[in-house]
Amino acid sequence: MLSPYTVLDLTDDRGELAAMILGDLGADVIKVEPPQGSSSRHMAPFLPDGPEPERSLHYFAFNRNKRGITLDLAGEAGRRALLSLAEKADFVIESARPGEMSRLGLGFDELRQANPRIVYVAITPFGQDGPYAEFPAGDLTVAALAGPMSVQGDPGRAPIRVSVPQVWLHAGAEAAVGALTAHARMRCTGEAQFVDVSAQTVMAWTMLNGATAKAIQGFDFNRSGLYSQTRGMPLQMVYECADGYVTFMPDGRTLETLVRWCVEDGLAPESWVEDEDWMGYTLNNLHGRPVAHPLEEVMVPINRYMLTRTKNQLLDRSVRERISIAPVYTVEELTRFRQLEERGYWLTAPLPDGQDVQVAGPFAQISETPMKVRRWPPKLGEHNAEVLGEMLGYSQSEIETACGLAGNTSSGRGG
Amino acid sequence: MGEGDKLPSTGLPFEGLKVVDCSWVVVGPSVAKHLADHGATAVRLETTAPMDTLRVAMPFKDGIPGPDRAHFHGEFNTSKLGMTLDLKTPAGVKVAHRLLAWADVFIEAFTPGTVDRLGIGYEKAQSINPSIIMLSTCLMGQTGSLSSLGGFGYHAAAIAGFYEVTGWKDLPPDGPWLAYTDTIAPHFLSAAVMAALDHRRRTGQGQHIDASQLEMALHFLSPQTLDSRVNGHTVSRDGNRSPTAAPQGAYPCLGDDRWCAIAVENDAQWEGLRRALGDPAWARDERFVTTEGRLAHHDEIDRHLSAWTGGQGEREVMDLLISEGVPAGVVQRSSDLLKDPQLAHRGFFRNLEHAEMGSIPYSGPQYRIRGYESGPRFAAPKMGQHNEYVLRELLGMSDEEITDAVVGGALG
Repeated sequence: MLSPYTVLDLTDDRGELAAMILGDLGADVIKVEPPQGSSSRHMAPFLPDGPEPERSLHYFAFNRNKRGITLDLAGEAGRRALLSLAEKADFVIESARPGEMSRLGLGFDELRQANPRIVYVAITPFGQDGPYAEFPAGDLTVAALAGPMSVQGDPGRAPIRVSVPQVWLHAGAEAAVGALTAHARMRCTGEAQFVDVSAQTVMAWTMLNGATAKAIQGFDFNRSGLYSQTRGMPLQMVYECADGYVTFMPDGRTLETLVRWCVEDGLAPESWVEDEDWMGYTLNNLHGRPVAHPLEEVMVPINRYMLTRTKNQLLDRSVRERISIAPVYTVEELTRFRQLEERGYWLTAPLPDGQDVQVAGPFAQISETPMKVRRWPPKLGEHNAEVLGEMLGYSQSEIETACGLAGNTSSGRGG
Repeated sequence: MGEGDKLPSTGLPFEGLKVVDCSWVVVGPSVAKHLADHGATAVRLETTAPMDTLRVAMPFKDGIPGPDRAHFHGEFNTSKLGMTLDLKTPAGVKVAHRLLAWADVFIEAFTPGTVDRLGIGYEKAQSINPSIIMLSTCLMGQTGSLSSLGGFGYHAAAIAGFYEVTGWKDLPPDGPWLAYTDTIAPHFLSAAVMAALDHRRRTGQGQHIDASQLEMALHFLSPQTLDSRVNGHTVSRDGNRSPTAAPQGAYPCLGDDRWCAIAVENDAQWEGLRRALGDPAWARDERFVTTEGRLAHHDEIDRHLSAWTGGQGEREVMDLLISEGVPAGVVQRSSDLLKDPQLAHRGFFRNLEHAEMGSIPYSGPQYRIRGYESGPRFAAPKMGQHNEYVLRELLGMSDEEITDAVVGGALG
């Protein structure tokens, strides 16, 4: 769908998903790395033989549908090459510290001179300016300042993040949204656009109903561990089962069905089916109306029932009976989840060490122009000659100078 | 560069675009909100049975429940017109068909198969409006033996692996806040719909987008899935710890439930932390010089650090560490966010006048476009607030047609 467009991806590990989304949607993406490689090439996990730039599985996960070049942006030749590429591009996406690209002479003002219709997207922890703009930041500290940690975890312990870094993925994915929104605006105004993505504001939205809560209801939401607090009373959300955990909200039709299952297994007396209006049970409790069996009593057989079944037994039975009990899967279990197999989700990709591996497929199925993986993540500088030679008409020695391959380079964290 | 017809120069990129939002909860409404905040005319269709879960979920204005007092709904439905439509009545379906003829984008989030049964599936929509862009979003996708698994973002978050990796090692999984996959899918889908619109502008071709919230979310655990397949390593929850950075955690500060997150990602930052602490004797221990050493003795470092942070306010701890180049951040709650200086600098929260709740703050855009005051244009609608306007002004229905629709029970 985006095949007419060219994207220059200058991001490091803090934003690579942005250009991958545009690439999956059809854009021609050129990943521009410093001569020593993107920081993401040095991020775990790695292929078995350890931390080499061509062995990072992190890099492999977020760089498909991109061609790869290196540019020495600290050198004049590299900078000139980038400006020439920007003339032919529609989007530039970068994740350098605020002001760093300008210091290199490659900021928005320089790039819009080269290309008055460019859409320039900058991803930073807190935005280009403001009191936090220069703060050193990590996944954990952005998640803290953005809010979601305050409501995650157990009441008696510290607030927690999702243990796997998420901040730069949210920021990167939303940067793709910003890029396309700004592109639509560029078509209105005819002018180049600057998109300032703040990971903090992106993460604030992951609080869903939480960010403005205090101004609306007069109090903050709190950490509530395994319990939900949005129904006005604590409802248990996580249950141990025979081989792990499952999640569901014990409410309405789900509760009615579970009581029936408990009765079937002799875990609750038969009279329970008729004792309560289970559909209205939560509301009755909430409003303090009399119930025959208090919630703590009801949860005992339900928790016992879960222990007698596996997560997949619970999932399958719930689907048959039109309620939803979701297994708490590990990534390993997901690789065997039949729904993903049936939809043909996983794709076979060649890893740099020669073995094949299954990777996440297109993020959606699109009827007329299906997303495809046209190329797997590039090796460092794999397309130097192709891109600079064919697009810019560079000679071999010009390519070597611009790409930082000729002797000493004045390399920095520019790319 | 794509050559295209230039839109009228209003400054709003999606001015003139027409969106029918027949979805609910967070994912579909977020995509429609995105287009509407940037100028599209979006009609949000709702019914009273069942009512959108967000209209019966906290936070309620002043703590008093009511469908028009639920700001969870408000945050995700700004800049939209509100309409009630009962798709179980023939009269309601008739109105829906007129809306599909009017629309450029149609968003739905029913259990797969439902739109076909209701007579508003892709084939029908396409027969009415050949270049329509239709987005179907649900937990598991439109096909596959588990496509009928309904539910919310917490179900999908558990299945997608996020519960397993959120919580403490020694406790059952907590899971992320509320409905985590609902926070992931809108990024992908807003991008996909805008790409489809650009494709349609150039080719006239519409699309049906079949989106599984599970399949989008799995991209956020991609390196870990590869690690499992290639190295047999299965990631699990570990509080705030990192396999590559130490010390890292949320540390208690003075006051009730106040915390500061600290993340020492390299040796230079460890040196900065020591300076901030005044280079105490315990921190000079040579076991702590390398990341490996600090990872091995994390609990011991945490005890010292907590003792230090516990005597200070969370802002003081953050400011001091930041001044020494150490990543640090106060664990902010809503009450902190609402007065956070960085969010204020970006004008993140802005008050809008809601028909029932009055002037209340809404969260702003996740990114800013220079020279363009983008964001929510007006507050979320009350149930059915714009029924008359949509039927008369947008669809051009006559008095007689409107009466027929009302008598036929179309408006629910």
